[in-house]
Amino acid sequence: MANTVHAATRQYLWIWGWLAGLMLLSIGVSELPLAPHLIAWIILGFSTAKAALVALYYMHLKQDRKLLSFVAVFPLLVIVLAVLLVASSRLVKL
Amino acid sequence: MSQSIAAHSSAAVVEETGIPTNKLGMWLFLASEVMFFAGLITAYVVLRFSHPAWPGPEGHLNKWLGSANTFILLGSSWTIVMALADFQADRQRSGRLYLLWTILLGSAFLVIKGFEYRMKLEHGIVPSTNIFWSCYYTLTGFHGLHVLGGIITNLWLLVRSLRGRLGPSQAYRAELAGLYWHFVDIVWLFLFPMLYLF
Repeated sequence: MANTVHAATRQYLWIWGWLAGLMLLSIGVSELPLAPHLIAWIILGFSTAKAALVALYYMHLKQDRKLLSFVAVFPLLVIVLAVLLVASSRLVKL
Repeated sequence: MSQSIAAHSSAAVVEETGIPTNKLGMWLFLASEVMFFAGLITAYVVLRFSHPAWPGPEGHLNKWLGSANTFILLGSSWTIVMALADFQADRQRSGRLYLLWTILLGSAFLVIKGFEYRMKLEHGIVPSTNIFWSCYYTLTGFHGLHVLGGIITNLWLLVRSLRGRLGPSQAYRAELAGLYWHFVDIVWLFLFPMLYLF
């Protein structure tokens, strides 16, 4: 039990390290002389990775029932659908 | 990690889904919150791409203050998950300490945000200045209210612990508060780059 607790504690710290590292990378990428759209996509990719780390390890989705993952992911799928609909609309100038 | 120290500690009854009712309820609530923020963020994205000059001549946000706030929230996510581990193992003193750190970090986030607001307001930059600032105040304002809600919840948990009412059988309360706090953190992980870095 003590080993399990210790391992989990260590893992939480590792995850924080990854989150902080990805955060620093995002700031670094924002300073690069790249096309704004490319920078936006890269940084949003990092943000998605950070959100996944928080959800999987800090919110324990990794070891929880899959139903909870479905509850978490379902609204995201709806959002993607909504954004695609908006993006394809002739009424919205993107 | 084979075993989670944050395995179901809930005293809730459940069990057709195999998930404690209160935990499932919290996740459904968070799903509705995702839709709420997604609506705001999607509106921001549509407006952002519809305006060639962004954020406008009034100037940009301070990237370094935003970065500091991001690190603060990331740190608070770590402290609250540690608090949960301690409460589940009935290490009340350590759990309270981590919970206090979470409250302090959340408060620091709001203080910095207030400082940013004051700087902008002193320069006459208000929500009606242009569409960017309208989005900025709306998104960060709603997010700040959520952070405040999380701080109040954590304070309530701290008081419960001090009164000896947050033992292992009650640790599910800390788990639910933690889920909410992490969600608030995740929202900021997307707001920060969209408002400060692009």
